[in-house]
Amino acid sequence: MLPKVKNESDHNQQPVMTPKQKEPKKPKPSKFMKGLKQWMQVFPFLFLGLTGASVFVIYPLIKGIVMSFQDYNIMPGAESPFVGLENYAKAFSDPAFRYAVRNTFLNTVVTVPINWFLGLFFAVLINIQFVKYKITFRTLYYLPIITSWIVVAFLFRYLFADGDNGLINYLLVQVGIIEEPISWLQNQWTAMIVIWLFHIWKTVGWTVVIYLAALQGIPKELYEAASIDGANGLKAFRFVTIPMLGPITAFVIINLVMGAFNIFPQVYFITNGGPMGQTEVLQSMIYKQAFNNFNFGYSSALGVMMGLTIFLITLTQQKKLGKQRFM
Amino acid sequence: MKLLNKLIAGVGISTLLFATGCTGGSSETSSGSDGGSKDKVVLDYWHTYSDQEEIILNEKIKPLFEKEHPNIELKLTRMPYEGLKQQVVAGVSGGEAPDLMRMDIVWVSEFAKMGALQDLSGFEGFDEVKNSVFESPMATNLYEGKYYGVPVNTNTKIAIYNKELLEKAGYSEAPETMEQLVDASEKAVKAGAKGGIAIGGSFSWAFLPYFWSLGGTMTNEDYTKFDGYLNSPESIAAVEEIAKWQKDGLVAPTVLGGEPGTWDGMKNNEYLMIDDGPWFYSILGNEEGSKFKPEEATVSGLIPAGPGGSSSVIGGENLVTFAGSEHPEEAWTFAKWMLTDEPQRLMAEAGLIPTNKETANDPEVIQNPIVQKYVKQLETALPRTPVPQWSEIEAVINLNFEKVMRGEMDAKKALDDAAKKADSLLQQ
Repeated sequence: MLPKVKNESDHNQQPVMTPKQKEPKKPKPSKFMKGLKQWMQVFPFLFLGLTGASVFVIYPLIKGIVMSFQDYNIMPGAESPFVGLENYAKAFSDPAFRYAVRNTFLNTVVTVPINWFLGLFFAVLINIQFVKYKITFRTLYYLPIITSWIVVAFLFRYLFADGDNGLINYLLVQVGIIEEPISWLQNQWTAMIVIWLFHIWKTVGWTVVIYLAALQGIPKELYEAASIDGANGLKAFRFVTIPMLGPITAFVIINLVMGAFNIFPQVYFITNGGPMGQTEVLQSMIYKQAFNNFNFGYSSALGVMMGLTIFLITLTQQKKLGKQRFM
Repeated sequence: MKLLNKLIAGVGISTLLFATGCTGGSSETSSGSDGGSKDKVVLDYWHTYSDQEEIILNEKIKPLFEKEHPNIELKLTRMPYEGLKQQVVAGVSGGEAPDLMRMDIVWVSEFAKMGALQDLSGFEGFDEVKNSVFESPMATNLYEGKYYGVPVNTNTKIAIYNKELLEKAGYSEAPETMEQLVDASEKAVKAGAKGGIAIGGSFSWAFLPYFWSLGGTMTNEDYTKFDGYLNSPESIAAVEEIAKWQKDGLVAPTVLGGEPGTWDGMKNNEYLMIDDGPWFYSILGNEEGSKFKPEEATVSGLIPAGPGGSSSVIGGENLVTFAGSEHPEEAWTFAKWMLTDEPQRLMAEAGLIPTNKETANDPEVIQNPIVQKYVKQLETALPRTPVPQWSEIEAVINLNFEKVMRGEMDAKKALDDAAKKADSLLQQ
């Protein structure tokens, strides 16, 4: 991600910067011609990418927005009458939607700070000079990310199975933390805890790897200078490490928020929304409305609202990110 | 000029690459569906038969049909059951649906409403086929007065008891009435069983046999109204009775998704009674390395009779033709043929219960005494309400049933609410 952002900003700036610097006296048409010429040169190379993006990203995006105002019928050639805001209005009277919104936000509020903290903590820990086998640790933390969602979801389901036979229950009872086995997945809040744990376990490795890269990018001289100025380890962390990680933190937080909003397999494969739809999240609701109940219009409306929400939440961060220079 | 040439060349190469990419894909699919020779019609058939059933399909059904109809070739594709509905939706919307499909009976009216299926009522010989099969499975194909499929095999669930626990409770035979079942459960639970009645979950397939047998009803006769039926005094009494079992600790944790699962509980002598379809004895009997012998360790019987008699829920599959099929006539020929005596007899070898009345009632076809009980149970078994909105209505009813089982809602309030919501979904 990082080098890509850098390239893009460079690329955007170049056409504006170069003519200004070179010869400000040159007449305007040639400036236009030069821009056009540059475009002509790169166009053949962009053509495929642009086609792909419009077919697979832009068209579905617009189609989804249009569908959200329709009573959409999937059959080719069938009529899909426009129903105005009916799909949107339906959401607000749907109790399942309230649960889905609540749980999606809760997941974000709970997992993003924990994820961020643990990611930073482990990254700093691995990065400490006397820790050996840094690459091994990094790989270990990254391992959950490349494992299959479904396999691990089933593992979690067995780990947290109710009764004495569930491994977690067995351990907790043996150690004496709880008296009676807990029905983890059969109760709302315990099921949510399992989902959150699963989400954190599966994504924390990404945060670790990104922070580890960022930590290794901080120039050693800064720490040397700090120690000459009399800073101990904690102070160096507070006044050197944290400020230097600032830009990366913005990037990490945006991605963690988006990841937390896009929670789907965590819920779909562990509880499938149960018990009584109380652990449903937006993504699983969108999926079920479209592909189990064939309510494509309603499902699109939910999708549009969710997209807008993510956009608004990350907007302030995005502005920051856009202005930043990545060293 | 040089620049322009470069531009043209670049665009040209890009488009060429893109075009070859596209045509490569499409030529592959067209050659696949055309098959080898041109005068033969190839029927694309999606099914979800199990391993053993598929062997019969490939080695007996296909050659037999192709011998009798030399102009038709069957192209069989076994689909995974997981995510199948989504795959069918994608196929239908993209015009890539097969000619024929063996589909879960509860999906037919939903896909018919969507306009995805071919109306079969007008085809030659339809009435004969309709009269030759059982009425209840046939009814699951009905949508707005037309039939969109034919039942190819049927099934239902019966009661299965753990022999050891049943003996501990003082019974040597399977309980015949709900009173006996409750009595046996109480004694079994007292004797240390983890659960008496293992209702498989809080969804319709699991609880409807008990609901119906205890006197409950879903809708009126023509499936147009829930209010007054789903929340009738009899229905409320039925749900209250199940809730009472739950309160008394007779129901196994499976009803709320708890562990152990129904068969695990049965194998470990933890549950007195579970219910399951006819597939269980062939699946469990063929399990490698398993010490559990289902036919020795269990006793089976009809669902115990209550105020509503002994009633179970119908499952099974229908053969449907998609509206986009290019060979509807040939597809109908196969569907019609599949319901005749010989193929039905062949599939029965794998334990599939025939829908053809004559075949099913022939004592030679079904010699296994367990399967005979299923055929007996089918006489009174009922289909889940065959309406296009069923998956949504089911979700409403399941949710309220679960709330009653958890003690969060009383039966009357839950059923009133479900009936109201179900009726408004029916209007859509």
